Amino acid sequence: MTANPAPSITIDGLTLAYPGKTVLDTVTLAIPRGKITVLAGPNGCGKSTLLRAIRRLHRPAAGRVLLEDIDVADLSEKALARHIGLLAQNPSAPEDMTVEELVRLGRYPHQTMLQRWDAQDTRALEAAMAGTGVASLRDRPLGSLSGGQVQRVWIAMVLAQETEIVCLDEPVNHLDLAHQLDCLDLVRQLNAEFGRTIVLVLHDLNLAARYADQLVFMRDGGVAACGTPDALMTQDLIARVFNVDAMIITDPAYGRPLCLPLRTC
Amino acid sequence: MTPFIPALSATRAPLLLAIMTIATVVLALSGVAFGSSWIPIDRVAAVILGAGEKTQSLIVLQLRLPRVVIAILAGGGMAVAGFLLQKITRNSLASPGVLGVIDGGALGVVIFLAALSDESNTLVTSIVFQPLAAMAGATLGIAAVFLLSGRQSVSAVRLLLFGIAVGAVAKALVMVMMLIGPIYRTSQAARWIAGAVNEVNWTEIQITALLLLPLLVLSLAVARKLPPADLDEVSARSVGLDLPVFRLLVFAVAAALTAVSVAFVGAIGFVGLMAPHLARLIVGRSMVAGIIGSFLLGAFMLVGADLVVRVLFAPTEVPAGTVTAIIGAPYFLFLLMSKQRHDG
Repeated sequence: MTANPAPSITIDGLTLAYPGKTVLDTVTLAIPRGKITVLAGPNGCGKSTLLRAIRRLHRPAAGRVLLEDIDVADLSEKALARHIGLLAQNPSAPEDMTVEELVRLGRYPHQTMLQRWDAQDTRALEAAMAGTGVASLRDRPLGSLSGGQVQRVWIAMVLAQETEIVCLDEPVNHLDLAHQLDCLDLVRQLNAEFGRTIVLVLHDLNLAARYADQLVFMRDGGVAACGTPDALMTQDLIARVFNVDAMIITDPAYGRPLCLPLRTC
Repeated sequence: MTPFIPALSATRAPLLLAIMTIATVVLALSGVAFGSSWIPIDRVAAVILGAGEKTQSLIVLQLRLPRVVIAILAGGGMAVAGFLLQKITRNSLASPGVLGVIDGGALGVVIFLAALSDESNTLVTSIVFQPLAAMAGATLGIAAVFLLSGRQSVSAVRLLLFGIAVGAVAKALVMVMMLIGPIYRTSQAARWIAGAVNEVNWTEIQITALLLLPLLVLSLAVARKLPPADLDEVSARSVGLDLPVFRLLVFAVAAALTAVSVAFVGAIGFVGLMAPHLARLIVGRSMVAGIIGSFLLGAFMLVGADLVVRVLFAPTEVPAGTVTAIIGAPYFLFLLMSKQRHDG
């Protein structure tokens, strides 16, 4: 990995609108390869929409998303699914589906009418289950697992997809504190050990600052600021983006900036 | 909603499907054997293999076999349509009967009969076009349900409400067609609406089989693509299933399957709801086994229903659709009530 990697994804003047509402307004942003980028911002700022637009789940009104130098609009559904994985905000699967069945679906984009399940698929399936620690649960139905376990299984599915880019939309929503850390540590492990480029949407500013290599603050459908957590976690920016008067201190354990919200402003 | 079923290993599915095939064949042979006179099953087999005596051949080939064969095709076809609809809507309450498909098909057929019959109750055009009329009506029915429900179609219960409303409109239009039409049209249409497998001839069976076979092959091909449809929309799309396009394809196939199945026997309710549920219980979550299992169970149910009406109500011809409704409607109510508890 080079010190200043080429962007993996370039978002170029992306605009997305529903009738009567502009959700993303000419967003321009580079997602660096092999890094963890965290999108943060107040409710309704467009961070989840941006994540889904990167995965082409929304059609932009203007602008484009480039994967290396390919416009994602030009890729087939399956080709796109071999490059970008996305874990939905509230993913759901039948309760009687087993862990292995769900993780196997991650191999779907690698299969065609001619090319059936092969050794490569088995290898990816096993690596994904082992990497997320769900191999021992493989025959359990999803309905019998805890929320934290289920989230690991979903991450395993995205991992089995073997995409160079993994997007996760608020993966720690609904998880308790231990499982939040557990889940984000797993994401960091995907980044460090499997070399995946990660794009995360996180609600919690302190978790965002702790796990991000690149932090992106969004507001009103646009990028308000983009940089390292140290550069972005300032009293001034947080007041401007989140409307909160905050004290910024340095987390004594990890040396990351920590935001203590005081009052709304 | 989903009960806890221990996962069946994939290796058991072929065995279970084989058992279901044998059960369906045995029931079908019994369906031919029973009637106003009993014909032993070995004699039935002999006739089918071309070695029967003349009277028995006449009864078997002209009276009994056609209704059993059409019951297999129609029951199976509707069950596969139900399976596809339940999968693609992720809604165990979905079926051709509640999504406006059958009633739309009924309207298509009644308009066809009304517009193209002459005074002597004979069609002025080829009977081949009857399934096409049903297909047009069925497609319009399901299209109306999904266009009207729009974004609400993701909610299981709301989708059903739209389906029931569209179905009611189609039913009302069928009624109007019957009331304003001449008397012969009324009796013709009434039989069709109740759903009966008697009075079907070999030409109609040939038409049904010829149209159904490619649709069933297409369903199997579609089923191989279907596994991600078990997931929520975003997850299904993110593993590479082109859901917006695929959903339309599945609706079209399901509407066509339903229409072809019911074109000559009429609206037989609830087979398309129950058979896929039972198939899932028996063969588990596999898509291809689910399609084959649904077909076999749908065939089994309709042959069985027809056998029941012939044994219980002979010599009166009670439409087999009444039996499937008597069993299916309470089952549907039960599902609706248990759904209510989960969805609030």
